[in-house]
Amino acid sequence: MKRQLALIDFALGGLRRRLGKSLALTLGLAFVVALFGAALLLTDALRAEYARGTGGMPDLTVQRLVAGRPALIDVAVADELAALPAVRRVEPRVWGYYFFVALEANVTVVGATEARTLADGRLPAADGEVAVGASIADLLGLRVGDEIGIPVEGEVRFSDVVGVFGEDAAIRTADLIVATPPHARRLLGMPEGSATDLAIDLTTQDEAGVLTERIGALVPGARVLDARLLERTYELTFDTRGGLLALLLLPALAAFLLLAWERLTGLGPGERREIGVLKAVGWGTADVLAARMWESAIVATFGATLGAVLAYAYVFWLDAPGLLDALLGWSALRPPMLLVPAFDPVQGFALVAAVVIPFVAISVVPAWRAAMIDPDQALRGGE
Amino acid sequence: MTPRLRALAGGLVLLAALVAVALVDAGRRRPRSGPDHEAAVSLGLPDLVLSSAERWLRHPSQAEPGAAVSDLPGAPDVDPAGALIGPPRAVLRVGGVEPRRR
Repeated sequence: MKRQLALIDFALGGLRRRLGKSLALTLGLAFVVALFGAALLLTDALRAEYARGTGGMPDLTVQRLVAGRPALIDVAVADELAALPAVRRVEPRVWGYYFFVALEANVTVVGATEARTLADGRLPAADGEVAVGASIADLLGLRVGDEIGIPVEGEVRFSDVVGVFGEDAAIRTADLIVATPPHARRLLGMPEGSATDLAIDLTTQDEAGVLTERIGALVPGARVLDARLLERTYELTFDTRGGLLALLLLPALAAFLLLAWERLTGLGPGERREIGVLKAVGWGTADVLAARMWESAIVATFGATLGAVLAYAYVFWLDAPGLLDALLGWSALRPPMLLVPAFDPVQGFALVAAVVIPFVAISVVPAWRAAMIDPDQALRGGE
Repeated sequence: MTPRLRALAGGLVLLAALVAVALVDAGRRRPRSGPDHEAAVSLGLPDLVLSSAERWLRHPSQAEPGAAVSDLPGAPDVDPAGALIGPPRAVLRVGGVEPRRR
């Protein structure tokens, strides 16, 4: 223990004597860890956010395709499907999109039947009422009690705003205008008796595969979306986006490792003389190697920890400016990001394996070469 | 203990404090479960508001199967969400409506 403390003390002295190099390596490592860590933290947080809302999704969603594109579906089909075994409930859903020029973005109009209370107001219970998402309310300056008018088939239809979703639900509702299904139909210009899709709840999700085939046979042009497959698709989407980001960061990692290799292998005359003196006064090769490894370990510990904290601050305190654009795209109605950290230990190990271990590994060879220096030659200034 | 080791110990304590601040902050950011979140989940929509500017992006899981250029021939890429630069907004204005407030 005492011996190791003495070696650490000597390593600290070495780091101090080469302050510029030590700081460059520490900050470089912190930067690379922060970049990779931010991508991982952001992806994990979004994945967890999605998982928290999957409970409300229908087990099966039935769309009707005409010429390969989703078309309106007759609500009478719902009664046919409700008679199938293992089907608990079939609900025709009404939803669609409007491009609002003022916002330069699409808003989503959704029909909702459940009467629910919001922190600010409630969901609509009667025709002519709407609840709006936080981003729409912010951008149009809407509050509960205001009216919003949407031009439909040549005339402006006004609706009372009876509820505004809070920012804590913004990641699901920022671009929503929620209305009763009949009112949503009017706003979207959809004919009576039609629906955008059918939401099916099953008595057991295990029947989803069998029912998908039966629905396909029963409803011509039906496209059936399984909730479990959608969840899987989302997982893959986040993984792909996160992976692409990590891929973009690979050159930064390579550049850092190259810098570290160059810095660590380039022994100056001072360092050579220092090692020569140490070996001349009785230090063994193992001692010199251990001292050099302690130097790398201290740099790795400080750099990696600092980088991880920086990544956390960048994602959760600063909302990942720049990185979020690459991960999410260019939505004009982007919700305020109130993300909740959902750290996966496996991702942590992946980060250590991708950045810290290569750094420590490339420091072994230079440390070994330094430890193998012949003291006589080192003191005489020879190679 | 030498001054250098004391400085190292101080630095490690500082690092631990930084990690502790991040962990405490992470612990305080609990998942939300207020009425707004419950109401949002009850709508049963399949996707998050990650990219709202095109319908297949707001609800990518409901997108048209096999439709590379679904709206009109020569239309811009239907899935530009991964790009840092979006398509010209003027293209999207076609067919748009002007909401009013009173």
